[in-house]
Amino acid sequence: MTTTALPASTSLSNSRRWKTLRKQLPNYLFVLPHFFFFTVFLLYPIVRGLQISLFDWKIMLKEQKYIGLANYQALLNDKIFWEVLGNTAEFMVVTVIVNVILALLVAVGLKHKFFGSDALRVLFYAPGILSVSVIGIIGIRIWDTQIGILNYFVTTLLGGPRISWLGDPGIVVPALALTTVWWSFGFPMLVFIAGLHNIPEQLYEAAKIDGAGRLGTFRHITVPLIMPTMLFVVVTQFIAHMQVFAQPYIISGGGPGNASRSASMYLYETAWKFFRFGYASSISVVMAVVMIVVTVVLFSLMRRRTEY
Amino acid sequence: MTTSTHPTPSPFWRRWRKEAGRSALMWLIFLPLALIVVVPVLYMFSMAFTLEANQLKFPIEWIPNPVTTSNFVKIFVDPQLPIVRWFTNSLWIASLGTVVIIFLSTLSGYAFARLEFPGKGLLFSLLLFSLMIPAAVTLIPSFLLLRDLKLLNTYHAIWWPAAASVTGIFLMRQHFYAIPVELEDAARVDGADRFRIYWQICLPLVRGAIVALFIFSFLGLWNDLFWPLIVLSDRAALTLPVGLIVIQQGSYVQRGLAFAGAFIASVPVLVFYAFFQRKIIAGITTAGLAGR
Repeated sequence: MTTTALPASTSLSNSRRWKTLRKQLPNYLFVLPHFFFFTVFLLYPIVRGLQISLFDWKIMLKEQKYIGLANYQALLNDKIFWEVLGNTAEFMVVTVIVNVILALLVAVGLKHKFFGSDALRVLFYAPGILSVSVIGIIGIRIWDTQIGILNYFVTTLLGGPRISWLGDPGIVVPALALTTVWWSFGFPMLVFIAGLHNIPEQLYEAAKIDGAGRLGTFRHITVPLIMPTMLFVVVTQFIAHMQVFAQPYIISGGGPGNASRSASMYLYETAWKFFRFGYASSISVVMAVVMIVVTVVLFSLMRRRTEY
Repeated sequence: MTTSTHPTPSPFWRRWRKEAGRSALMWLIFLPLALIVVVPVLYMFSMAFTLEANQLKFPIEWIPNPVTTSNFVKIFVDPQLPIVRWFTNSLWIASLGTVVIIFLSTLSGYAFARLEFPGKGLLFSLLLFSLMIPAAVTLIPSFLLLRDLKLLNTYHAIWWPAAASVTGIFLMRQHFYAIPVELEDAARVDGADRFRIYWQICLPLVRGAIVALFIFSFLGLWNDLFWPLIVLSDRAALTLPVGLIVIQQGSYVQRGLAFAGAFIASVPVLVFYAFFQRKIIAGITTAGLAGR
């Protein structure tokens, strides 16, 4: 009896499954519109990018030549590429470190309201509202040797000589990084303020009763408890600043020499100035691999630190 | 007698004095940073109204003498610099692009929060995976695709790739999750179909997140330089940020013009920001945290 009942029940559940599937079918209409664009302009380009990197792809050619991994081999021996990757890493490290420290300190200061604290918060985010093109145009004049804002203060307030900030290969990358901090520290600041408000106030009160000082509470309560927020900020900042393009493109033109050329700028020039799309694609793939690896490492590192 | 000469201050005044002291101390700490943030922006405003001949003056002439609008006049009359056109291009691209992003993200976000369908988990991991891939990889293939579709130098070249973005979906999904299921069940009992539930019941309840996504996407599209620089090259098709680069580089080395252009690109967003600062700050925080 039981054995004969079994196929009947599966066919029943089969028809029921059909019924629920028919009922669920219209749900695809919700995801389909986005999925179309997602496939055409995100999934397909990722695969296509990998493929193009295996060709000696030049835009004016009718027939593209397959060259295997030759682009990657050339990339390994491309001194400019390694220099550019180093510049980008330096820019990213300086920007992220200064951004995170400054944003966290400002957020701690602005967490408790005082007269005008909201106005300061609005003010500190304000440069982030501006286009990077505007930041570039201002940045040129901040660092200009002859008529720059910084040299104005160096000469008039400090009585020093004019400094050629952007002409010095040792200064130009940090200069671009500080310009970027000026533009963008408002966003991590907002995120940190939100994160600080999630730390229970009782912890601070308990620490106060235990006689902990300001520095002590900051080190032993604020810093460890802000770590999840910190992870989010560091990863997003890392991804954003590794792809820096406009600041060197506008402010320093990548110079002197290649001292401030970034990976994205090199990619842009390889593709849209020299029209070597295959080689440029291999640059983008290497950039992606580096970024994915570092993101994964960052995640595992910070995860370990947040478990206590 | 002594009590009248030394009246004990009321708790209100004591608190006020303490607050005032704290505020003064905080301002002392923050004033240098505030100046660093403000001075370059004020410098830009000032230079926009400074004569070309006075641009190179050193020490810097902080207040233009004379105040001139000649830089703006020069931009507006130069047919090679159609800045009004750039402005409308930017406005169109940012506003319609934002509407498209909001429409697609709310639809998809709602489905991932509330609806069941085969392959949902796989699709969602695909979206998550795409977050890891830097934009650099998609630049060249997307450019070639748009070229083959003959869409370079059109608004579509910006809109279509923007429609593929996924952050809005995560944001909307989180907020749709927070809506009590009972609300939808009640509507379903009343005979509303799923599209009406999405449109008439759930959408109004996530208004805050939609505003956040609007601000985030609009500013992103309005300010972006890299992608428009790649797909727009006709003078008439440019957006403001790309136009600024044209003014800054090439044959237009006139410094005053660049600042006037930067002024035109910045003042609308800064005024908008000043008016809706609270909403914008809240929106940026909400939307910025979406990928978490």
